[in-house]
Amino acid sequence: MPELNTNSTLLPTARLEGDAVIASVDGEIDLKNSPDLREALFDLISTQKPQRVILNLSKVHYMDSSAIAVLVESLQRLRKTGGKMCLTNLQPRVKGLLEIARLDSIFVIAKDEAEALQM
Amino acid sequence: MNGELRLNITSDPANLADVRRAIEQLCAENGFPDSVGADLGLCVNEAMANIIRHAYGGAKDRPIEIRAKADDGQVRVTIRDWGNGVNPLELPANTKPKDPLKPGGLGLLCIQQMLDTFAFRPEADGMLLEMIKLRPLKEPG
Repeated sequence: MPELNTNSTLLPTARLEGDAVIASVDGEIDLKNSPDLREALFDLISTQKPQRVILNLSKVHYMDSSAIAVLVESLQRLRKTGGKMCLTNLQPRVKGLLEIARLDSIFVIAKDEAEALQM
Repeated sequence: MNGELRLNITSDPANLADVRRAIEQLCAENGFPDSVGADLGLCVNEAMANIIRHAYGGAKDRPIEIRAKADDGQVRVTIRDWGNGVNPLELPANTKPKDPLKPGGLGLLCIQQMLDTFAFRPEADGMLLEMIKLRPLKEPG
């Protein structure tokens, strides 16, 4: 499984697995650092052109609407080439925010990376 | 229980996390459940982010004044800015049902759904937002 260099502390690990890029997000994300997350995710999508991006959010205990917007923009980029985005290991506060935004049915949500890879 | 918080900050996004944590701490110190602090902290974050982006057009050096008071029944937060004075509820984009895939408006949606009361009060030179989160009733038994 080739490791990918993301050059971002918010995406400390990323790897290729089949047609998927699996990346872990780390940290609390708000308006201060969401632009950095956008840049890192867009870089991954444009350089790897994956069919699926699986984001492990186990280390994201807080995100605000600017972070949600980054996830939506990334999903829209993937959809242009028929790709999908899957979110795994959602922490309660993040899950609640996705529900308020009515995005829990737009992203693919999986319990963990293994489940996401089987979807 | 009667805790208060007074913060005067600049409109730099780097200040958002500290203010959110201060609100969460005020709630915790006054015996409110974690969910109250989490909801109120997020709403304060969203309100400040809206001020930074819309009322101040992204400027990082404008003033924002936050006051919070916790008592037995509620936590009340006010956020004052000296921006364009536009009531977000009256913006055309926020008067229609939100499309989840269109950016914008989620912060306001959080404020509408997570708080017990909120009001935007236009001032001559800006806006005052008042937000209230009530202490949840204890489970019987």
